Amino acid sequence: MKIKRRDFLKLSAATGVAAAAFKGSTLNALADAYRPGIGGEAPGNWVASTCQGCTTWCPVEVFVQDGRAVKVRGNRYSKQNEGTVCPRGHLSLQQVYDPDRIKVPMKRTNPVKGRGVDPKFVPISWDEAYNTIADKMMELRKSDESEKYALMRGRYTYLRDVLYEVMTKVYGSPNSISHSAMCAEAENFGAYYTQGLWGYRDYDLDHTKYLLIWGCDPVASNRMIPATIKRLGDVMDKATVVAVDPRFTTSAAKANEWVPLDPGTDAAVAGAIAHVMLTEGLWYKPFVGDFKDGKNLFKAGATVDEASFAEKETHGIVKWWNLYLKDMTPKKAAELAKIDADQIVRIARGMGKAAPNVCVWMGPGAAMQPRGGYNAMAVNALAGLTGGVDNEGGTLSSAKIPVNKVPKYDKFMDEVAKKKTKMKKIDQRGYLNVPALSKGKSGGGVSTNNCATGMLAKDPYELKMIVGYMNNYVFANQGAERWEKALEEVPFIVHLTTHASEFSMYSDIVLPCRINQYERIGFIKQKANRYADCALLQNAVDPIFPAINEETEFPWHIGMKLKERGFPNLIDCLQDIFKDPETGNKATNSMEFTEFALKYYTAPLWDGKKDVGGDKIAGWKEMKRRGMWNSDPYKPRSEWGKFHTVTKKFEFYSETLKKALKGHAEKHKVDVDKVMEACNYTARGEMAFVPHYEAPRLHGDPKQYPFAFIDYKSRLNREGRSQNNPWYYEFKHVDPGDVGLQDTVRLNPADGKQLGIKDGDTVKLTSVSGSIQCVARLWEGVKPGTVSKSYGQGHWAYGRTAAKVFGKEARGGNNNNLIPFDLERLSGANARNGGFAMIKIEKA
Amino acid sequence: MTQYAMVIDLQKCMGCGACALACKTENNTANRHDGQAHNFADYQHETTGKFPKVKYQTRPVLCNHCSNAPCVKACPVTPKAMYKTKDGITMHNDERCIGCRACQEACPYSKMEVKGTDTSVISYTGDEGKPHDPFYTDKTEVIPGLTSSGAEIAAKSAMPPTKTNFSHPDYQDVRRSNITEKCIFCEHRVKKGLEPNCVVACPARARIFGDINDKNSEVAMLVKKYKGKGLKPEKGTKPNVYYIRSYSNTAKK
Repeated sequence: MKIKRRDFLKLSAATGVAAAAFKGSTLNALADAYRPGIGGEAPGNWVASTCQGCTTWCPVEVFVQDGRAVKVRGNRYSKQNEGTVCPRGHLSLQQVYDPDRIKVPMKRTNPVKGRGVDPKFVPISWDEAYNTIADKMMELRKSDESEKYALMRGRYTYLRDVLYEVMTKVYGSPNSISHSAMCAEAENFGAYYTQGLWGYRDYDLDHTKYLLIWGCDPVASNRMIPATIKRLGDVMDKATVVAVDPRFTTSAAKANEWVPLDPGTDAAVAGAIAHVMLTEGLWYKPFVGDFKDGKNLFKAGATVDEASFAEKETHGIVKWWNLYLKDMTPKKAAELAKIDADQIVRIARGMGKAAPNVCVWMGPGAAMQPRGGYNAMAVNALAGLTGGVDNEGGTLSSAKIPVNKVPKYDKFMDEVAKKKTKMKKIDQRGYLNVPALSKGKSGGGVSTNNCATGMLAKDPYELKMIVGYMNNYVFANQGAERWEKALEEVPFIVHLTTHASEFSMYSDIVLPCRINQYERIGFIKQKANRYADCALLQNAVDPIFPAINEETEFPWHIGMKLKERGFPNLIDCLQDIFKDPETGNKATNSMEFTEFALKYYTAPLWDGKKDVGGDKIAGWKEMKRRGMWNSDPYKPRSEWGKFHTVTKKFEFYSETLKKALKGHAEKHKVDVDKVMEACNYTARGEMAFVPHYEAPRLHGDPKQYPFAFIDYKSRLNREGRSQNNPWYYEFKHVDPGDVGLQDTVRLNPADGKQLGIKDGDTVKLTSVSGSIQCVARLWEGVKPGTVSKSYGQGHWAYGRTAAKVFGKEARGGNNNNLIPFDLERLSGANARNGGFAMIKIEKA
Repeated sequence: MTQYAMVIDLQKCMGCGACALACKTENNTANRHDGQAHNFADYQHETTGKFPKVKYQTRPVLCNHCSNAPCVKACPVTPKAMYKTKDGITMHNDERCIGCRACQEACPYSKMEVKGTDTSVISYTGDEGKPHDPFYTDKTEVIPGLTSSGAEIAAKSAMPPTKTNFSHPDYQDVRRSNITEKCIFCEHRVKKGLEPNCVVACPARARIFGDINDKNSEVAMLVKKYKGKGLKPEKGTKPNVYYIRSYSNTAKK
């Protein structure tokens, strides 16, 4: 008999001394022999905040002693992480106390910009910095060029509205540029054009019977890390776990089955799984429906009469079969993906048996490829076929998070602002070859990496001023060298940052900012483990050196300075629309303004005016103490019958994509085939509307560049920001196959042998785009013909630990100097997965 | 008699790194330097098989708090600096330690000098007068006058800057130079009714702490049910850290 952990702790508490506040941490039964003199932990306070090391956005608590942040745990109230965090939450402590944080505002004195060029920064006062920035902004307005100002966003909180949206629009620029397309817009594309969800799915691991992990390692990255870490061990006992990934991940090590497909062949394998499910009658009939006479007519290679099938919650199953699936046999897919065809059959049968409690966990690896849009659709279509979409033990949508929206501010937009904000954006979204079809709209989404295209071509116009915040586009975008050139040409750049990153090195003014989780103020909205949440970021500690909350304080100070220069609209707007919701008072300083904005947004969660469901929170003070609100649990099948697609059904034949593509084509007076061509897809005609396989669009001739390069995110990556922390290098080996203290490329021992490369050799990796150096590790977890390397190292700025020589020489290699520029154009997403970057490897 | 022990459930463990990092924040250990690991909690990895039939496992490691502890036997001072508490913790008294490192040499789970990211249960804090962590005594500024330095950050916060203040009669929250240091099962917490920080921090709930001599404890029952094993049984140390179940799926295709 196994005593459940919870019961054990209960027993302990019953026999023990005074229980500590934190559930799950007591061991009172064992504190029998209290030895006098053990003072234990010195007094301190746990302050609630949010970790933003990845997009799980964990509600956390920070332990503060003597005004210092010393420890971290998950927020005790969190139904997402249940009180624990992944390594990132702890690692971040070294970011707060990083020796290389900027101490004072600094100004560039060397007008020459370039990689490795010393900006010759000198200190300036905050006042001089704000004056200079306001002067530049006024200059652009005076010369009727305010559109040439761009705000480029990186890691944000939802107070972003102030800096990203309101300030940019009231000032008069269309260029609020987000980083979203770097992240996973192609993944959202897959979900949207099948189930009408432009967003990430939630996952019900507690009730799953079959977990299909595809193109990610959810115990290491993606969007519910601690909850998955907690559950995967138990899932192994009660469900089948399959990892489809060219990379041998922790999930693959834990899985019943690892499917090491060739990168970019996702839609072939997903299609073949669907093929088997249909031919063997394994689809989930209560969701998909059935043949009218009950006889399965799906036979390999044979078309089926659409009229013979009655669908229920889905649309176009027979069309998908006729257009694509009928010919995608396991044998064919296995040849394309270089895997064992038996695996495909086994997975199809296993999922059919477990349906509908099948959880299809699609990650960016399946999507963020030049031709990844249809791969993402194909993988997500399996959630439809098994009925696991929006269902128990499957993928879920999100419960509502009833915070306030940005208040109306259009009355503060003058004629210039109204005119300029309608202009085209620098990322060329909506151009024929950049459909960026977010939520069905041509140019509806951002194409972050395409900004460099627009900037270099001065099309639609040139940029003259950039304000970047918590971003590092020149490091974090593929084809980084294009950004180097693009930034060199921008006359005035402001960087709001904690560290002097690569982006700072092209900047004219750099302002020190507060670090998230510890100093920065804001809030987030997220979901995981069936619960949506809103969590605060709080200033648990004061910054050692003066630093600002850039999302609110920067617009405030600039607003003041613009008013002095005869443009009062911004500050008047901010003071007017973000009053204290409790007193109605207008803010009188930037920190007060920050708090009022935070209170305004979150008020419905704590002001008691309306029952919004979820946690009951009595007032602002209580909200700050708890630091978070949880929704009620999400109700599975809420979307069934009302999916946000054109047909309100789950679409195997995407009427929604058809409408979007036709809309985009009509805008450009061409047909859909022309759009497909412009976006580097090979499908023509009806095939454009169904999930299907296309050969990966490779950059580099395989004869010259024989290895497919696989980029992945380390479980220690706090996006690109933890590489200046010694703990990152110390524990880098927690990424399976990696080696600590170095930047590692993993290759299969057989490939190593053929190349004469040994473990530990320094190697040069070269693509059509550039070369980087790192250290080889020969590892059996690598598919021959591929190599894999985690993103993050290769900084030439950021700090002493991240760079070999700060400002000059990189430590290791940046994957983005190796991966060439390309896009998944239909979604506007950066292309970074799918092995499209072909490389050669040489001993350095 | 109580014998504190830890069980690590390898099936639940995802090898994520949270426990070792949480340990560093709790116990204020230095960054690895001068051939010493300074990780009370760490990991060893093993890959077997050939592509595509690969198996991989991560094994979290820490002081085994051996019942028959070679480090205690080797300690030459009287009374011993390395000793067993009546609860079975292998405890270190900083004051009595003379820095001879005989414990480190005797421990089959430690190395006198580590290379790369080798693990070592016992570390040496450096010769007399050496800083706790040279990373935070370095005065260089990468952009002079504009960015900070390790020394400045430490001066404005603490050494190390994330130092968790706690008190224990044998054990300093930051150990002085010229002694050895290692995991004490967070006795400063345990005696206050809290679990060791690595246990609390484990997002997988893979680390279970308790009294192995109590047949009804969770640790005793898990070890019995899953035939828990310690490391290097051939050394006869009778370790009190037990590993149960398999990291990778035993039903793997």
